[in-house]
Amino acid sequence: MLSCADFLAELGDYIDDAASSDLRAHLEEHLRECKTCQVIVDSTRKTIEIVTESGCFTLPSEGVDPIVNAVMSRIRERTT
Amino acid sequence: MNESATIFNEPPRPYPQLIAAYGFLPNLFRAQSAMPEAIEAEQYLIHTVAVREGTLSRSQKHAVLNAVATVRGSEYCRTLFGHSIANMPGRDVALIDFCLKLAKHGPWVSEGDVQTLKHSGFDERMILEAIVTTSVGLLLCTLADGLRPQLDAELKLQGPADLLDVPDPIDWPKTLGPHLGLLTHSTADSPAYAVLRTQFGYVPSLYRLQSAVPELLNAEVRLLEAVQFPEDGLNRVQKECVLLAISAANLNTYCSTLHSQVLDILGLPPEESDRIMEDHQQSGISATDRTLLDETRKLASLPGRSSQLFETDRLRTQGFTERQIIEAVVVSGLANFLNTLQAGVGATADFPPRKVFGPKDLYLFSDRFRPISDTTFPEDPDSALVARVREGNIDVFEELVRRHSRRIFGTLAGLVGNIEDARDATQEVFLKAFENIGRFQGRSKFSTWLTSIAINTGTDFLRRRKPSESIEETQDDEGFRPRQVQKWADDPERLLAASQMNELVRDAVLRLPEKYRVAVLLRDINQLSTEEAAAVLELSVPALKARVLRGRLMLRESLAPHFVRQEKTDA
Repeated sequence: MLSCADFLAELGDYIDDAASSDLRAHLEEHLRECKTCQVIVDSTRKTIEIVTESGCFTLPSEGVDPIVNAVMSRIRERTT
Repeated sequence: MNESATIFNEPPRPYPQLIAAYGFLPNLFRAQSAMPEAIEAEQYLIHTVAVREGTLSRSQKHAVLNAVATVRGSEYCRTLFGHSIANMPGRDVALIDFCLKLAKHGPWVSEGDVQTLKHSGFDERMILEAIVTTSVGLLLCTLADGLRPQLDAELKLQGPADLLDVPDPIDWPKTLGPHLGLLTHSTADSPAYAVLRTQFGYVPSLYRLQSAVPELLNAEVRLLEAVQFPEDGLNRVQKECVLLAISAANLNTYCSTLHSQVLDILGLPPEESDRIMEDHQQSGISATDRTLLDETRKLASLPGRSSQLFETDRLRTQGFTERQIIEAVVVSGLANFLNTLQAGVGATADFPPRKVFGPKDLYLFSDRFRPISDTTFPEDPDSALVARVREGNIDVFEELVRRHSRRIFGTLAGLVGNIEDARDATQEVFLKAFENIGRFQGRSKFSTWLTSIAINTGTDFLRRRKPSESIEETQDDEGFRPRQVQKWADDPERLLAASQMNELVRDAVLRLPEKYRVAVLLRDINQLSTEEAAAVLELSVPALKARVLRGRLMLRESLAPHFVRQEKTDA
């Protein structure tokens, strides 16, 4: 059976659903027996979800127009 | 082209060293019989480099040549060199690994690769011989690609090619050369130096670095005298333009600088050289010469293999003679030879370069780019708008800015961590995209290309702020182990107000070392695929995956104290 270190080395592909079916079967076999890796998988998935959905670096919609206007006016200045 | 460019079937001279080397005169050389002086120089080079016993044995050199032909996919040269690399002694595996990297990913060769070879017991003289042998291999493979000789009846067909594992390069070398420190002998009065001084006005460092081995230097200078300097067919400006365009396609800063310099002396303005390096179609040279560069660039050794598309008929249509077409192929071979030699010895530019190439040039500004996976990019939703902007419809660019500004801002805010800088950088990204849209070839999605520009721009902002910090100066991707192993709450998002959550995530992301932060931003905030993110960061897919995982695990460590399940522990 895989060790925890082996499991962690493949964690990225497992979470991204990019592991081959054979590898996935080995990883899940380890996971069934290992509470620590279960916690790591669960909390890493939650981390990704939180980061993806946080919108912490999102430009508010009212911020779009000033950028568009500034860019286009500089382009028009340069091309005329 | 479906047939050889040969016009003379019988060479006028016997070429004894070639016959000694192969037992007969191979078609590869017969195909150049319009250029006997080039065949003479090639036979001398082959005799000096590959036939004579040096500090490397003849058998080792033939194994190198066979490996180069195999990795270049040249069936003709693999058969001609005829020496399998199977069952090699262990030490020679390191030699072959080095030569394969040099042949396939020359610009990525670093001093570290040379050190690895030294640790395997190869001294600098042996390493120089390996570099020159690899360069000869690429010269001959380029000739075979362009001239397409028939397989000689005397040659025995080889079995299946050895399977060669040449890993994708990961990191662009951080240090300049030279990679070799051979003691330079005083060759002030050598005939080779005299030729170089006459032609260049000085002795370029590429040759000075080899002065401890004068026989190699002499053979190389003979090749230059036969191929680069004469003006019997193509003129010198045309040849230097081919050498420059191929050097740029091979991302070779040193050789591009050298050929730009020569062109400057020959009267071509430096701005024209810049345009040839970036996109020769935009240069002011004649349409005929642009076609010459179109075709010869296909023979460049980097990055993909498009030599199958080399069309001599296109050159004939433009009025090039058979002799000039053969010469164009031989000059292309010389360009790959010199580029490989330079990448191996790590010669540093004798003049400040007009353009310093990096891996981004492979991805952004080449009409062919590093293959990152077998999958093709899905249809690009921006392609119609991009095409209209390229036709000159400036107003349409506004829609592209509107579509992508929030995403690009998000990437930059996550990178530079400051709203005002992110706004300025976002504008800069779109201005750069507009200025360079003519170079965008549609081989990736427009959004991916834009993200590449954003990462470069954001990184520049950071460097201006903290010049000492480097994106690569953090720990390696191995060895990180999670420490927090307590179970998390089922719905961690509900434990904090949205604004608190945003602040928490923002701080955690900004605390990540830059290289992990960028990887997480692209994958988890920008939602790029693994392949797209790898392309943007000029990383191999495995390297990108390692960084994303490390970044995610570090974020998890930062967030864990806020989200672990609050359970009563047993007394």
